[in-house]
Amino acid sequence: MMTIPDRRGTPVPTVGLIATRIMELRKRRGLMIALIVMNIGFPALFLFIRLLGHAFWPRTSPPAGGSQIFGVLAAGFLPTFGFVAAATVGCTAGSRDLTEGMFRHLVVTGRSRLALYLARIPAGLAIVVPVVAIVYTILCAVCAFAAPTVVTDNGVNIPPGLSRAGFANWAEGHAELVVCNFLANPPGNVDCPSGPGTSSVSSATPGQAAPPALEALAVKIASQDYPGYASILRSPPTSVMIEGGLWIELEATVGFILGLGLASLMGQRTLPVIFLIMFQIILTPILSGISIAHLQDLQRSFVGLAVSRLEPSGLPTTVGGMPGVTGGVGGPGSVRLPESATEAVCVIIAWLAAWTILGAWRMATRDA
Amino acid sequence: MMTTAVPGAPGRPAGESRWAVETHGLTKRFGAKPAMNGVELLVPRGSAFGYLGPNGAGKTTLIRVLLGLTRADAGTMSLLGYPVPRHRDAALARVGAIVDEPRFHRHLTGRQNLRLLAAAREPAARDRIGPALERVGLAHRGDDRVSGYSMGMRQRLGIAACLLGDPEMLLLDEPMNGLDPAGMAQMRDIILSMVAEGRTVVLSSHLLDEVERTCDAVAIVDRGSIIAQGPISELLAGAQVALAVECSEPGRARALLAGTTLSARVAAVPAEAGPSALGLDITLPAGAGRDVIAEINRVLVEGGISVYRLQPVQTSLESWFLQVTTRLEDPE
Repeated sequence: MMTIPDRRGTPVPTVGLIATRIMELRKRRGLMIALIVMNIGFPALFLFIRLLGHAFWPRTSPPAGGSQIFGVLAAGFLPTFGFVAAATVGCTAGSRDLTEGMFRHLVVTGRSRLALYLARIPAGLAIVVPVVAIVYTILCAVCAFAAPTVVTDNGVNIPPGLSRAGFANWAEGHAELVVCNFLANPPGNVDCPSGPGTSSVSSATPGQAAPPALEALAVKIASQDYPGYASILRSPPTSVMIEGGLWIELEATVGFILGLGLASLMGQRTLPVIFLIMFQIILTPILSGISIAHLQDLQRSFVGLAVSRLEPSGLPTTVGGMPGVTGGVGGPGSVRLPESATEAVCVIIAWLAAWTILGAWRMATRDA
Repeated sequence: MMTTAVPGAPGRPAGESRWAVETHGLTKRFGAKPAMNGVELLVPRGSAFGYLGPNGAGKTTLIRVLLGLTRADAGTMSLLGYPVPRHRDAALARVGAIVDEPRFHRHLTGRQNLRLLAAAREPAARDRIGPALERVGLAHRGDDRVSGYSMGMRQRLGIAACLLGDPEMLLLDEPMNGLDPAGMAQMRDIILSMVAEGRTVVLSSHLLDEVERTCDAVAIVDRGSIIAQGPISELLAGAQVALAVECSEPGRARALLAGTTLSARVAAVPAEAGPSALGLDITLPAGAGRDVIAEINRVLVEGGISVYRLQPVQTSLESWFLQVTTRLEDPE
């Protein structure tokens, strides 16, 4: 007597199972178009318009890239839309077999229902992660290669990357500009064109030679202001770009897993998508903006805040683009609850595990 | 066909089990209403088996329970000798099934849907996609989206999906639904060819004529319970037989029969349809032999009635079904 080993009862999904799940999602044209338009199309169009604007009207249109625009998109737009798009893909992956009648066919193959569920995770992420990576790569490329040729400090355009001595030399050559713009109350003997303390955003063209006392003052100001100048980045540093990319992928992954679990639990797509959009755009910012004295532990256990806690320090949390909408804390009026990175990681893992278990449980026990 | 051992049942090869489906006391309730009530079913291997019943009788529920799509409240069952749900995966590896209307991802082609299902089966299943499409006559439409398929094409795609696992048994729930006569004939041919290959086909249907043409044996389910099962020929042999009588005076003939000892055994009613008004339809008891027919003839002739024709009418599965079931439609 010979026993044929049959491993279809194992909960581990096969490569073939995952590959066909990817195909099933990839062939959904409406979903893919929405995913690409929302995640890649809008930011790419925004950057393209800025590139064109700067190319044709350089005086009135700022450069397309740079550190500031990177912050706006990487800390504002991309995490929010990445989360929503990933959640939509997750909800589709979690519900469409059931609503379209394929779940029954799959169950009667004898394949473990848990394997059927788990196969959707790598399949969905294989679609979501590259899409997020593509748009993020575009953003990084534009921000790095189309960055401003000068940095602006106190409203004055200054050549980037100067050493302390170079900065002092530059200040000496632009003494009047420095004194007028870097000091709140310039000395009375200095003739500031727009009045003292104003930001003229002048070009860095040396004017007439200033009196030695004024030059000395400018060098002194430059020496004091050098740390501030050095912290102004023309384009985002590589480390911030890498960390930012990983963080946005984390946000998208959380959105996908939550969507998958919730849709599997509810057996439909529409309501879970609505819930998760509300979760990301309304609930998370509200919880980020308040601190409830007796419920701080509960607030800390909220996944949106935990993900925000892991936001790279190089990204602005008070970005003017979409403060508070990112799920990020730190916007005007927001209160960052004390939470260690370890706690945040544990909260995120717990949420991912809980929703995966709930979704898998429902799938395993559901009448097909 | 390779014999495999039933895990947990040493010494009892699953492949040698006599029954393809065996259930005992299978019960399933939806709320207070029993959908299956102590179902005892034995489906012999290698047969085409019809599972018949009126709408709402519990046909689909039984198939869903057997396949593990829903859970039974009580009872035991096995598929191809594998007790389920304990060895459900091993059993289902050898079973193909259509439950209710076959639905697929409409945005995918037929072939892509089969790829999705083949991936959930053993690796060899992928190689069977082409032959399966060929066999059900969908090879030329396999790369079209399912959204463009007719009902009959989806039914055939469902059969193709069943064939991916090279199944020993197919459980087909109303596979003829929505098919035109040509589609039904084609489906019948497919089913018969699979039986000819030694597979067991369990056909749940309310299309009695089709079942009678296709199946060797049937079970009749009514109100969640099986009320009869066995080979069709045996079941019909035990059914009442109709005798069409054409004579000169049907009214007097009926009275004559009622006045004899035959009245305890036969019931005669005027024929509702026939070549003339000279008819009587007589219901004979199950197993009635030629002697009863001869006695009827003698009574009528001795009573002065001219008998033009005496013809036993073969009981159809449909008429037998109507005899044994309590209703055609669930009043609820």
